[in-house]
Amino acid sequence: MTISPAITSPERRPLRLAGLLPWLFAVLVVGYAMVVGGYAATVVSFALIYAVFVTGLNLFMGFAAQVSFGQNAFAAIGGYLSAVLTATYGWSPLPAMALGIAAAVLTAAIVGYPALRLKGHYLAMGTLAIGLITYEITVEWQSVTQGYMGISGIPPFGIGPYEITSDRGQLVLLSLVVAASLFAAARIRRSRFGRALSAVAGSEEAAVALGIDVARYKLAAFLLSAGFAALAGSLFVHVVGFVSPEVFGLHMVIVTFTMLYVGGIGTVVGPLVGALIVSLLPETFRAFKDYQDLAYGAALILLLIYAPRGLASLFSPRGRS
Amino acid sequence: MADWSYIPQVLVSGLGIGCVYGLIGIGFCVIYNASGIVNFAQGAFVMLGGMITHMLFARNGVPLPLAAVIAIAAVALLGVAIERVVVRPLWNRKATMFVMILATLAAQIVIERLTLIAVGDQPKTLPVFTDRPPLMIGGVAIGFQLIWIVGGSIAIVGLLAAFFSLTKTGKAMRACSINREAAALQGIPVSRMLALAFALSAALGAFAGILITPTQYTAFNVGVPFAISGFIAAIVGGFGRPFGAFLGGLLLGLLQALAIVGFGAGLKNVAALSVLLLFLFIRPSGILGAAK
Repeated sequence: MTISPAITSPERRPLRLAGLLPWLFAVLVVGYAMVVGGYAATVVSFALIYAVFVTGLNLFMGFAAQVSFGQNAFAAIGGYLSAVLTATYGWSPLPAMALGIAAAVLTAAIVGYPALRLKGHYLAMGTLAIGLITYEITVEWQSVTQGYMGISGIPPFGIGPYEITSDRGQLVLLSLVVAASLFAAARIRRSRFGRALSAVAGSEEAAVALGIDVARYKLAAFLLSAGFAALAGSLFVHVVGFVSPEVFGLHMVIVTFTMLYVGGIGTVVGPLVGALIVSLLPETFRAFKDYQDLAYGAALILLLIYAPRGLASLFSPRGRS
Repeated sequence: MADWSYIPQVLVSGLGIGCVYGLIGIGFCVIYNASGIVNFAQGAFVMLGGMITHMLFARNGVPLPLAAVIAIAAVALLGVAIERVVVRPLWNRKATMFVMILATLAAQIVIERLTLIAVGDQPKTLPVFTDRPPLMIGGVAIGFQLIWIVGGSIAIVGLLAAFFSLTKTGKAMRACSINREAAALQGIPVSRMLALAFALSAALGAFAGILITPTQYTAFNVGVPFAISGFIAAIVGGFGRPFGAFLGGLLLGLLQALAIVGFGAGLKNVAALSVLLLFLFIRPSGILGAAK
């Protein structure tokens, strides 16, 4: 294990054009969708929502090298609270979203405190169980979630009478949210907190020896990651206007891990690039809808074997850790 | 509220499903002991066991016992294929535990989707092995399929015990689980043992799948719930202890049956997963392991 770049002293590098390529790709794709609008805008909107989720996943897994297969639970909590409060109780979206995120982070704190003491397979299975329990509850708690029927009629974002209903409007909003998320991730990575996380990722024993409170930092990364997941879940329900249990099922786990690995785990821009590529590719093969999860699974296996650091890290040497 | 007069009946059927969880749990342990890998594709073996038997029996008219044997052999081969294609390259690269989990989970999804494309999403079932009215013992109906499940499981557990303690190959696998490097120094082909563990574990899963299919049904997506129940059985029994896993499976089956009576069938998976979380948080070494 080499020392992560984030804890070595930062040296000025000459501006690398190659490092800008993933950003350029992302801007071009979003810009194209903005100009064309319509269906392309919808596809890219979904990709941007996923990018928020994967950014959170990346904080916990890429920066701190922990494992969670249950982040979909927090997306479900954020999404469903947003949906129920707005569609059933007539709240406006912003406070509903805020409460959804708060509830998800609180849940993460309650389950994370015991769960994060686990290691390896136990942590993986424990978090997978949390995701599956949440899924089952969204199916079974029909009086609130309406089970498989799902909740429809969720209002779009807006303040007072001003609602963002157009494809382009939503795309602009989501682009701003993603930009803010990535900016936050970049800042976190270089902060004292981010350096502590990469020390934990390198070796927990060494991190303890450096005086880092490993358990606290892990929990903090988990809560942040849950917050991003809930934000993504809430964004999804308000953009689509509908939510059902499948949205946050095991499919989401596989797709988001594929995105994380395609983009490059541990990089800042990786989640965005991965989300865009993984969302756009199936659109070019629309005729093979049944084969999508098959393709995700197979692609994930191939990536893990042949390009474990993802595609974006091929461009960005800073991403290697 | 629930009708508690059903309790003995419910416990009996819980025992049956518990045996199946136990077999799947043993499958996890066999691979884990040989390699330190937790194979999240275990559920695919269970699903394919029932599915291949159904396809041979119902569509091609192969007699049921023969269909079952062919299915078990085919799934064992698939286990070896997964080991060669997915696990081996990662193993050689010394991939992290997490990458291994993700890769096997992805393999599970791939097999699930291929099955969906091949046979569609309709649930399939098998006839019971012995078509006779259930035995009545003290007001409790005991179906012949249940006798098959319990008897078959106990027979397999006995055979496994004999395999691990009497045969040279079984002893070699146990040596690998104690210390792989030392085993390699003794001339045990550790990598062949890994392939063998996958074959054995896949065959166990397929056998469990064939036993349970007549009482429930099988479909492309039944694998993950079965795998999770088997994993819970393994955790409850103390991970890596095959016979603990069988015991854990029985306990889980009984608990789940009670949960169905108490809270309704919809929450049976929530109950099982809650048992998992409880054990993980409070006693991760299982009922048979030493408390840490």
